[in-house]
Amino acid sequence: MAFAGVSKWFGDLVAVSEVSFELWPGVTALLGPNGAGKSTVLRLLAGLTPPSRGQVRVLGRDPRGDVEITRQIGLAPQQEAMFDRLTAYDFVRLAAVLHHLDAPDDATRRAIDLVELGPAASRRIGTFSKGMRQRVKLAQAIVHDPHLVVLDEPLTGLDPRQRLSMIELVARLGQGGRCVIVSSHVLEEVERFGSRILVIAQGRLAAEGDFHAIRNLMDDRPRRFAVRVERANEVGAALVRWGLAVGVQLEGPDRLIVQTREPAAFRRWIAPLTRDLGCRLREVAPLDEDLESVFRYLVEGR
Amino acid sequence: MTTPTSPTAGSNPAARSRGRTGTGGELYGLFLSILGTRGRIVGLGLLSLISVLVGVVFRAQLDPADQLESWTKFANTFGLSLVAPVVALMFASAALGGPAEDGTLVYLWLRPVSRLRLALAAYAASLTYVAPLVVIPLGVGALLSGAERGAVTGTVASATIAVMTYSGIFLWLGLRTRRSLAWGLAYILIWEGFVAMAGKSAARLAIRAYTRSLLADSSGVDLRLATITPAYAAIVPLVVAVVAVLLTARRLRTTEVT
Repeated sequence: MAFAGVSKWFGDLVAVSEVSFELWPGVTALLGPNGAGKSTVLRLLAGLTPPSRGQVRVLGRDPRGDVEITRQIGLAPQQEAMFDRLTAYDFVRLAAVLHHLDAPDDATRRAIDLVELGPAASRRIGTFSKGMRQRVKLAQAIVHDPHLVVLDEPLTGLDPRQRLSMIELVARLGQGGRCVIVSSHVLEEVERFGSRILVIAQGRLAAEGDFHAIRNLMDDRPRRFAVRVERANEVGAALVRWGLAVGVQLEGPDRLIVQTREPAAFRRWIAPLTRDLGCRLREVAPLDEDLESVFRYLVEGR
Repeated sequence: MTTPTSPTAGSNPAARSRGRTGTGGELYGLFLSILGTRGRIVGLGLLSLISVLVGVVFRAQLDPADQLESWTKFANTFGLSLVAPVVALMFASAALGGPAEDGTLVYLWLRPVSRLRLALAAYAASLTYVAPLVVIPLGVGALLSGAERGAVTGTVASATIAVMTYSGIFLWLGLRTRRSLAWGLAYILIWEGFVAMAGKSAARLAIRAYTRSLLADSSGVDLRLATITPAYAAIVPLVVAVVAVLLTARRLRTTEVT
């Protein structure tokens, strides 16, 4: 499975820009903030949309133009819409039949067991909760035992126990030799999916590789804090002198923006330091703890 | 949670079928389920029933000498110009257009099924609703109106040709544009309504001219601009229907699936 210099634009909007990567058996997590281009990457991979430039290959074949390659692709899309008037069983069985399986009922029961739908399978999908719909989507994606399993935000709407089950199942699918690619915008979720991740931000591949290496890179980035404190200039100078800040920006007599590579030490020592200086500390607020800022750092730091 | 049963990915050739029978039937059943909403069937069924009521009124109120001409003109203006295209639009445009719009098309598109088979299943399911809703009430209305046998035959034949053709056109339109209802109504009112009445040559570009000619020929009633010979009047619309289904299959191959 390969992306080679793939770009995708819709009019003036560039959704994916010059993205290249390869997938191999196991779980690969596609991490990125909302709107980063994750779903577009997955749609390109499944052949649902053609690349504007570059080449997408699944088992060496073009997923866009080769209908037969869909036998090897299972997709659980992000959107919730399904054929709500069908029962879950009929919906999954429909996928089995359209994949020309010899024993569609056996395959359907197996897939439904895997996602733990059990007795609910005889109910209409329209009556299902979001979590149950996610499981039905996964069941139809794996009923034909594909090589490539594409899961777009599969944990959305699941409760903690269902999340755990889903993560375990995804891991098993990867261990079984399939290429499983899972998208998420939640860092902590991705950590549990597997060790390999692709980080996408603003349509570009920001980082690729082992999760822990990238996590360390994320953790090592400078952090910024807004500090409201009396005699801010004195406090700023002391922070730099003590090695708690690599940069200080004075924004007023009582407001500082502090840049630090030691966020834990900064948090621990800012209060004692200001007390020793006799300055009243009013507020310390992190400015870039959100995931978007992490991605921004990865993109701009390349 | 249970673990996957097969140890290696995609390594289960026994699970692959050797035949492809059944996919067409499954797709057809699915499209029937998608299209068969109560509101759509009841609403359009009531519209079609007007034909039956008018047939009864014609028989009761009109002089027998006038029944043939009155019914033929009514079948042309109401049945062929309004009911047939509108009912076809409401069903056929939703067959693939609905799934394309709500995002469920992906569950059909990402399967090893030929696009022509998909298009044919959607077309057949549309016709399953449209033909009875249009042809039967018009046929019954023709019978009840007291019109001669030729008018009954002409009504049924022209309505059948009309629904087959319009269903094909609107099946394609539903996939071609997100505003298929608006475009379809514009087509019915402006193109079929205006062009079909604009002149002898221009009328040949509208389906209505062909169905009107079939009706006029069978009933013997003179209808304005009904000048196409029966063979052409039957064949050309059916060719249009075939081309429309093929274009739909082509569109399925090239469409961006959301």
